[in-house]
Amino acid sequence: MALLEVKNLTVEFGSEDKPFRAVDSVSYSVDRGEVLGIVGESGSGKSVSSLAIMGLIDFPGRVTADSLTFDGQDLLKMPAKKRRAITGKDIAMIFQDPMSALNPCFTVEAQIMEALKVHEGGNKKQRRERTLDLLNQVGIPDPKSRMTAYPHQLSGGMSQRIVIAMAIACQPRLLIADEPTTALDVTIQAQIIDLLLKLQDDSDMGLLLITHDLALVSEAANRIQVMYAGQLFESGPADSIFAAPRHPYTQALLEALPERSTGNDRLSTIPGVVPGQYDRPKGCLLAPRCRYANDHCIQDRPEVTDFNGRDVRCFYPLNDQGQPTGQTTGQTAGETV
Amino acid sequence: MLGFLLRRLGDVIPTFFGVTILVFLMIHLIPSDPIQMMAGERGVDPARYAELQKEFGFDKPLVVQYFNYLGGVLQGDLGKSFVTKRPVIEEFTTLFPATIELSVMGILFAIIIGLPLGVIAAINRGKWLDHLTMSLSLTGYSMPIFWWALLLIMFFSTTLGWTPVSGRLSVFYYIEPTTGFMLIDTLLSGEKGAFTSALSHLILPTIALGTIPMAVIARMTRSSMLEVLGEEYIRVARAKGLTPMRVIMVHALRNALIPVITVIGLQVGVLFAGAILTETIFSWPGIGKWIVEALNRRDYPTIQGGILMIAFVVMGVNLFVDLMYGVINPRIRHKR
Repeated sequence: MALLEVKNLTVEFGSEDKPFRAVDSVSYSVDRGEVLGIVGESGSGKSVSSLAIMGLIDFPGRVTADSLTFDGQDLLKMPAKKRRAITGKDIAMIFQDPMSALNPCFTVEAQIMEALKVHEGGNKKQRRERTLDLLNQVGIPDPKSRMTAYPHQLSGGMSQRIVIAMAIACQPRLLIADEPTTALDVTIQAQIIDLLLKLQDDSDMGLLLITHDLALVSEAANRIQVMYAGQLFESGPADSIFAAPRHPYTQALLEALPERSTGNDRLSTIPGVVPGQYDRPKGCLLAPRCRYANDHCIQDRPEVTDFNGRDVRCFYPLNDQGQPTGQTTGQTAGETV
Repeated sequence: MLGFLLRRLGDVIPTFFGVTILVFLMIHLIPSDPIQMMAGERGVDPARYAELQKEFGFDKPLVVQYFNYLGGVLQGDLGKSFVTKRPVIEEFTTLFPATIELSVMGILFAIIIGLPLGVIAAINRGKWLDHLTMSLSLTGYSMPIFWWALLLIMFFSTTLGWTPVSGRLSVFYYIEPTTGFMLIDTLLSGEKGAFTSALSHLILPTIALGTIPMAVIARMTRSSMLEVLGEEYIRVARAKGLTPMRVIMVHALRNALIPVITVIGLQVGVLFAGAILTETIFSWPGIGKWIVEALNRRDYPTIQGGILMIAFVVMGVNLFVDLMYGVINPRIRHKR
């Protein structure tokens, strides 16, 4: 059984009769020791779905799912107290912006020790020793003097290491990293990712890596899940997705990678933006931006189907040559790219 | 921390001089002559007038007069009351504890009621509890003290008879002042019932005086809490699996308190202004009533001294608040 099983997770905001679906029936699973990468542009529902797993979606947001199980226990059906005992201990999360993730009024030590106190107890001395271990583990130089530092005295990279130390304090079995490197500069990004992967590998954690950086997941993830406007567009093993994307969106994302641009003097882009609450297309959510879209795509919304062993939400999944299959003639409607 | 303290002290010095200049000039700006005032309706003959001018130093240039005055202030000499002929500072120190007692109770009332109200409103944002507490606090804020105090007296003292109408202590007791604080003195005296009497005399003035600061604190706490609750570190705290109570009371409140404390400091000035009205209405023998009486009698040294001392107290409290600010907010403490 997978460590985390998400079946048809939906997160809605706004009024009951006209809800906005930030996350729309998304399913995935993470096994222990596995790295699942969730990729997508800003606004595709990556963060919201992870907040839903953590139980951090507040009123007026509504979370529903056929099942949301962690280690066989349904997170949505358990009482709040029991769920709190799991969040922060067995499931931990790292947030985007380390500079605002630490409480400015408390020392590093106090914030890490707090997590330990809530979930593991023990006396103050033990907790302090463990905190020192953790700081060593996440590679903080001179950890002893950093213990009593306040967040404003730390750099971004240092703060993110503290945030990671805080998250792994209780040896979680699942770590959700929500764009852990977005707010950091490139050299630090690599260090933080290396650190996360090392920690993941050492303790056989499941890691849910949320990012919009495809290059990053290509190195880190075992499996990849591509999301767009709250929907799952494609999922499958990382290497096969990179070798042969089945969804036009994945293909376009890959083409936009500088590493993949060959010969062209301009990097290819996907025109337009992710649809929001008020400009949702009637048919396929990607239709206005898709180079292969035809009338069928504009009128009807595709469901997730199995295509050569991969989950793809497209009427015309791409073949190995990167051409749409099943389209009768070249009757493309939106000649956008 | 020491550097921070010294910097803050340095900020106080110009304010000190500003206040002394203002208070000193007051006597010269008001269109009446203090000697004429003292002489009353019968008037004073020119020779005696010149003599008195010399005695009070009014014949010297303004600058010299100011420095004489400043010299006196620095040595704790605020002049003598025209009416009682006693040193102003002496009268002040006798009456001041009564005002402190009332003000401390007032601000405690404001904090004890206002903070929780603000927190409750913030966590129930947009719900009826939020609307209720905020409209209550707006009502409290809009209520003029003299009106509110009279309403309280009418309802609780006259109609219900629950509390005494005025004064600090029932006439059945005589307590020799040792600290000047009636609550403490009655406890020390060991006289039965005296403490309860002192306490019951305090209730209405405390509410009358504390209502406006309470409303301000409640509203400030609410908006400050709302801002903090939207911060990422609150989400992180919740992701640690902490109870909602701990997230709110420890992680959010500590940060939300920073602006609230500033407001509490500023309210102390409002409190003294309110004390003047409250003490007059409740016949509370404190500084406020003393100054109002001095105003009626044109007792300039008393007015000057009273205002100066109140200004000092407000400055002192705000200095203290600034220091508290440093204790609560590490970013202030470490700023160079």
